[in-house]
Amino acid sequence: MEIQRQVPVEIFSRKDLEKALQRIKKSIWVFHLNTGSCNGCDIEIIDVLTPWFDVERFGIKLVASPRHADVVLLTGPITIKTFPRLVKALRAVPRPRLVLAIGSCAVGGNIWFNSYATLGGFPNVIDKLNELGIVIDKIVYVPGCPARPEAIIYGVAVMLGLVEQKTRYKKVKA
Amino acid sequence: MVKFVKVLPIAAKIGTVTIRYPYAKPIVTDSFRGAIEVDPSKCTGCGACTRICPPKALSLNIEGGTAILRYFVGRCIFCGMCADICPEKAIKITKEFELASEQVSDLYIDVEHEVVTCRKCGSKFVTSKLLNKVEQKLSEFSKELLSLCPRCRRVEMLSKQVYLR
Amino acid sequence: MESLSTDNEFENLYSYLKKISNRFVEEEDHLRIVVENEKLREVAEVLSKTEGVFLRTIAASDERSVNGFYKMYYVFGLDRIHRNIVVEVPLDAENPVIPSIADIVKAADWYEREAHDLIGIKFSGRILHRFVLPDDWPENVYPLRKDYTVQDLVKLYRPEIIAKAREVEAEAAIIIPIGPYHPALHEPEYFELYVRGEKVVGARYVGFMVHRGIEKLAESMKYDQVPFLAERICGICGYVHSTSYCQAVEKALKIHVPERAEYIRSIVLEIERIHSHLLWLGVALHLLGYDTGFMHVWRIREQVMILAEMLTGSRKTYGLNIVGGVRRDIDRDKVNKCVKVLDSIAKEFKEFVEIAMSVPQVKSRLRGTGLLPRNEAASLSLVGPTVRGSGIPRDVRRDYPYAAYKYIDFKPVVRTECDNMARTEVRVEEVFQSIELVKNFLDRLPGGGIAVDSWEPEPYRFGIGAVEAPRGEVIHVIVTGRYSPYRWRVRAPTYQNLPAVPIMLRDVDLADAPITIASIDPCFSCTDRALIINIEKSDVRDVPLVALSLKGSRLLR
Repeated sequence: MEIQRQVPVEIFSRKDLEKALQRIKKSIWVFHLNTGSCNGCDIEIIDVLTPWFDVERFGIKLVASPRHADVVLLTGPITIKTFPRLVKALRAVPRPRLVLAIGSCAVGGNIWFNSYATLGGFPNVIDKLNELGIVIDKIVYVPGCPARPEAIIYGVAVMLGLVEQKTRYKKVKA
Repeated sequence: MVKFVKVLPIAAKIGTVTIRYPYAKPIVTDSFRGAIEVDPSKCTGCGACTRICPPKALSLNIEGGTAILRYFVGRCIFCGMCADICPEKAIKITKEFELASEQVSDLYIDVEHEVVTCRKCGSKFVTSKLLNKVEQKLSEFSKELLSLCPRCRRVEMLSKQVYLR
Repeated sequence: MESLSTDNEFENLYSYLKKISNRFVEEEDHLRIVVENEKLREVAEVLSKTEGVFLRTIAASDERSVNGFYKMYYVFGLDRIHRNIVVEVPLDAENPVIPSIADIVKAADWYEREAHDLIGIKFSGRILHRFVLPDDWPENVYPLRKDYTVQDLVKLYRPEIIAKAREVEAEAAIIIPIGPYHPALHEPEYFELYVRGEKVVGARYVGFMVHRGIEKLAESMKYDQVPFLAERICGICGYVHSTSYCQAVEKALKIHVPERAEYIRSIVLEIERIHSHLLWLGVALHLLGYDTGFMHVWRIREQVMILAEMLTGSRKTYGLNIVGGVRRDIDRDKVNKCVKVLDSIAKEFKEFVEIAMSVPQVKSRLRGTGLLPRNEAASLSLVGPTVRGSGIPRDVRRDYPYAAYKYIDFKPVVRTECDNMARTEVRVEEVFQSIELVKNFLDRLPGGGIAVDSWEPEPYRFGIGAVEAPRGEVIHVIVTGRYSPYRWRVRAPTYQNLPAVPIMLRDVDLADAPITIASIDPCFSCTDRALIINIEKSDVRDVPLVALSLKGSRLLR
């Protein structure tokens, strides 16, 4: 069982991407996309916008249309019924297409990773999206069930390169 | 009449409640359950955690000469059942939640175990640590039998009984 | 407890039922009666005509390997005497046909469609189409039949998702491709509203986007893993599902949960209710354009989240329940902290809610809109604050007392105005009631263990577990198996309440449609995007609900 690293198809070069990230750093517009999640992560996303965490202090704003979005906040394991809508919404997002996959569902399919009705998380659909001509320039995975508001903020920081990610693949001998 | 402006004094009194995370500490209470940590020195690779884990974020696979206990934090639901069930108390629940990563592959943690080979059929069936532990517990049990895989052991036991008769 | 068949107002009903069939079992909380296929409509007729009988849930089950039949379980509740009548109808294994009762019992509509979709039961007198499953699901494959395991289904169903995605993208009707998504928080489900000018004349619900195959998954999981699955049915009121599941198993296997565990469950349930109602109120205020209120409510609510984390270890999806008890204890220190936080929330919320309810646009947008007449609410067997806002005091905590509610005297909050304001007031009142309840429970918290030591599963026992969720009654029906549940039927409150939305939307202004839909608290939000179809001009518009609603508030200013 080999773990595969996903290499994004580079049209936006690394340099371009960094430049673009630099530009949106102080005002990131996010679009929230629920692909069949239980609502747990979704209410935590709203929580991030309300007084206790107030991400508007970083210029983060929730927008109504994917056409205006810099970052897509994706929750849920991607059910088969929502996939076509997901494609439609993601295609509308301008390049660089940045996705923050929030919660265990979006990252690894959570408890329904092997159900007949879901696709088991965002990593499983990336090649399908590529097949449809949708390239995702940067993805950050935020585990958590539900991801706590702080974890979401941390994820955004990793996305923008403000902090270095902490987790690395580890192999230890027992 | 204009009662709704009374919300202003409330706002003034409360002031700012915002937590300045990431520049300040997050509000994590003592009982919070974050990612788990497997202590490789205590883990015997028995697989009890993989059987209780509701989303199967923990898995035990024997490949090549090693058994790998794989923890995929990306699928973990942070329920802590594994820590409750672990007979060796090798699993600790930490308060770690800053797990965001750019690669799914960074969300895996593998604990590698040596595997014992069945002396008869050559199949790999159990981690050597677990076997050692069982040997200690069942000292009256013959070592010969323990180094056999379950299938060969059954055959051996039966043939012995036949022989005894 | 008094005897079932004597000394109660449903005596006639009981004697009638026992005459219809001599195969019945009486249990502590229900009477289970086997009725023949031909007699079902007659029985349904009698039950629906009896005052005080509500349909609680219907479960279809594939029991061919056990007794050679498919089975339908119709669970009717006699709220006043705290009992259920379970009508069991065995169906032929080769050709499972059953008469439809949707015309007699209105609430049965969705259940029949779902049973047709997932188990392949045929209903004579109705033509049914795809309901829950995707359109391209293979014909004659029914996921809840025992012929298939979860793994089989994954192999069997290879959805043409890429083709489907291309097809949806090619649709020209919606130019801005937002589909059923919304800026605020919501789930991908939507309503089609039919309007004449600015008045809504009809509504259709298009949903089941979030079907994740939960009931099938549970059949491959162990008893102690399912509570975690159940909890993930809903991220807002997940604890009610795990409690309900555990109670169903405990009822079926006659496991007696320690009293302390019952109290802890009730405490966490009420805390979940507080957070959920505050969340609802916040978003409702947001829909009405009163964003100040939204922020203040969520500020108050955050303290509840921290409290929940302190008590259970997680902000949401608490992971506290296992069959036979709970996993974490509440110590003295936590009790004190809890009381302190709750007191401060009560004070802050009281101060705030008085102001919020006096805001002119909130008041005028809620009062008199989204009328749900009492008789319609009763005939649809609605649940939760939706039905309590229409003057019917249905509440599982009183009607079928469970956990620690058995030990206290509970009175549900009721309003009789039947409008959006009534439903809002019920929720606001329930926040205070819940705070009092938690304090009461904490005060009386008995000693002892928090879980039973061990229990043995026994196959093919039947159990019902019900919990009053923030949105209404959650009811789980279980048929036990050897290592995992054999059949587990979940019925969430929104399932029961959604058919009421078209009634509430009749003749309301378009701008009031969002708050009206939201007033049933559709777990949450489910509602976000509306497709407006103008009957006169026959044009189609797709707009976010919030934008619709704000239009109404602006007119008021």
